[in-house]
Amino acid sequence: MANSVLDPCITDELPDFSSEAYKLAYSRINAIVIEGEQEAHDNYISLGALIPGQVEELAQLARMEMKHMKGFQACGKNLGVAPDMQFAKTFFAPLHDNFKQALVENKVVTCLVIQALMIEAFAIAAYHIYIPVADPFARKITEGVVKDEYTHLNYGQEWLKANFEASRDEIMQANRHNLPIIRQMLEQVADDAAELHMEKESLIEDFLIAYQEALMEIGFGPRDLARMSAAALVS
Amino acid sequence: MFGLIGHSSSFLEARLKARDLGFDDLADGELDIWCSAPPQLLENFEVTSNTGKTIQGTYIDSCFVPEMLGRFKTATRKVQNAMELAQKRGINITALGGFTSIIFENFNLAKFQQIRSTLLQWERFTTGNTHTAWVICRQVEQNAPALGIDLAKAKVAVVGATGDIGSAVCRWLTRRTGVGELLLVARQQQRLNDLRNELGGGRVLSLEEALPAADVVVWVASLPQTLQIDSASLRNPCLMIDGGYPKNLDSKIASPNINILKGGIVEFARDIGWQVMEIAEMANPRRQLFACFAEAMLLEFEDWHTNFSWGRNNITLEAMEQIGAASIRHGFSALGLEASSPAPVAIAA
Repeated sequence: MANSVLDPCITDELPDFSSEAYKLAYSRINAIVIEGEQEAHDNYISLGALIPGQVEELAQLARMEMKHMKGFQACGKNLGVAPDMQFAKTFFAPLHDNFKQALVENKVVTCLVIQALMIEAFAIAAYHIYIPVADPFARKITEGVVKDEYTHLNYGQEWLKANFEASRDEIMQANRHNLPIIRQMLEQVADDAAELHMEKESLIEDFLIAYQEALMEIGFGPRDLARMSAAALVS
Repeated sequence: MFGLIGHSSSFLEARLKARDLGFDDLADGELDIWCSAPPQLLENFEVTSNTGKTIQGTYIDSCFVPEMLGRFKTATRKVQNAMELAQKRGINITALGGFTSIIFENFNLAKFQQIRSTLLQWERFTTGNTHTAWVICRQVEQNAPALGIDLAKAKVAVVGATGDIGSAVCRWLTRRTGVGELLLVARQQQRLNDLRNELGGGRVLSLEEALPAADVVVWVASLPQTLQIDSASLRNPCLMIDGGYPKNLDSKIASPNINILKGGIVEFARDIGWQVMEIAEMANPRRQLFACFAEAMLLEFEDWHTNFSWGRNNITLEAMEQIGAASIRHGFSALGLEASSPAPVAIAA
């Protein structure tokens, strides 16, 4: 017997891509994505200084990020939206500052946790949720990008896995310092994301799924994962 | 490896469990936080059959709680994400426990096979309903005579008769058990008529009509919150099998003459080194478990890596016999009215 509270109701409807409210929200979200790809490019190039043996591989990842950035710039143009780059720079500043600080201190583990785990998991979650509600042009671009982002997540994952015992404490520390920032970033864009029909609830959950999966591959146990990720849930 | 996907019976229970596990942030969090929590792989354990075969299992908490039922998207995500996690961990066969199979079925989640980069492989999942239906029928067959109820003459009401488990129970009671009269209760008239035609008998009644007439009542529907049962109007003796989810029939009836048995629960021949069934409030959590979970174990024991129970109203008598025989072979017994811990069974060489 069907439970009356379990009757299916809604499915996703596409937003009105031409509305002013959509474009305004898009000017910030699109800028975040462009800035995120630009910073990812710069971060992978910088990481080459800390992991000299993998300069070529890192340069390859950086090139992919540049390609993504250009794709997302095209998405904004396609909708007639000028990205609010100043907003995006401010948005990334706390996390970017932490990355730069770690770089100065030669903390390769922290750098990888911030860029290759957190930012990539954030991107994967956001792109997956965006794809079903994107305009047809952006949808195609984003589908191509999301595949690459798994490669980037995988890069950080493999490096940290190979160096797990030596990295463990620093990963946990980087997690403690930076996951609350990720959470604040999600809160900051929640309203704009909702305008694009992307729900905060699922953004957080999908981010944690990708992030926890990476941590598990690296070598953390299930109990560690739940404790480590709680920082992203509780604001 | 087999998997079990479950959830806490309430938000309060979930918070207490999180506290026990040392997840204080989650324990203190409001429901909104739980709505964003990803599925958690909580336990790995071993189970050894009466045949001596040992298999590995994993329990995944979907982080769903019944308070999320009104949130279609949240409930859907919890089930899909738990299934994706099970598949990504390489689990051969996973049972959807508690509300998760109900959500899958009622929200028609079979339409959504692609979860992010994962294409869900349905053959890796089972609702466990075939084993549940078989266990409920066995509970009727074993416990009614103990109360002096002659099943060949008895009126047996099935509440939720047209559901996946309910219709299978009706088929078995008609063709295998041979009960005096089957009383069919459900909300949808057309489905009831179709079922009656398929069975070639049975009387369609309202719940109010069926209850006072029945010697045995099998509940396989979620009970409406407003349901009131007048215990004085029921037959004496009366056997009630509480096979729905959640199992809260005892909160609706307070009479020493009414024998309420938790339906679809099995007891294993030996202790299992897990903690999950303590959460499910089993009387003997080391040995008792939902029959749907046991189905995943049976499929793994037998290497039947297939979605043995899937979709609505596909359960055949042959499949029930097959899973029932495996159930006995590997050391499961249906929970009885006088459930006591059986003596440890020696593992066959």
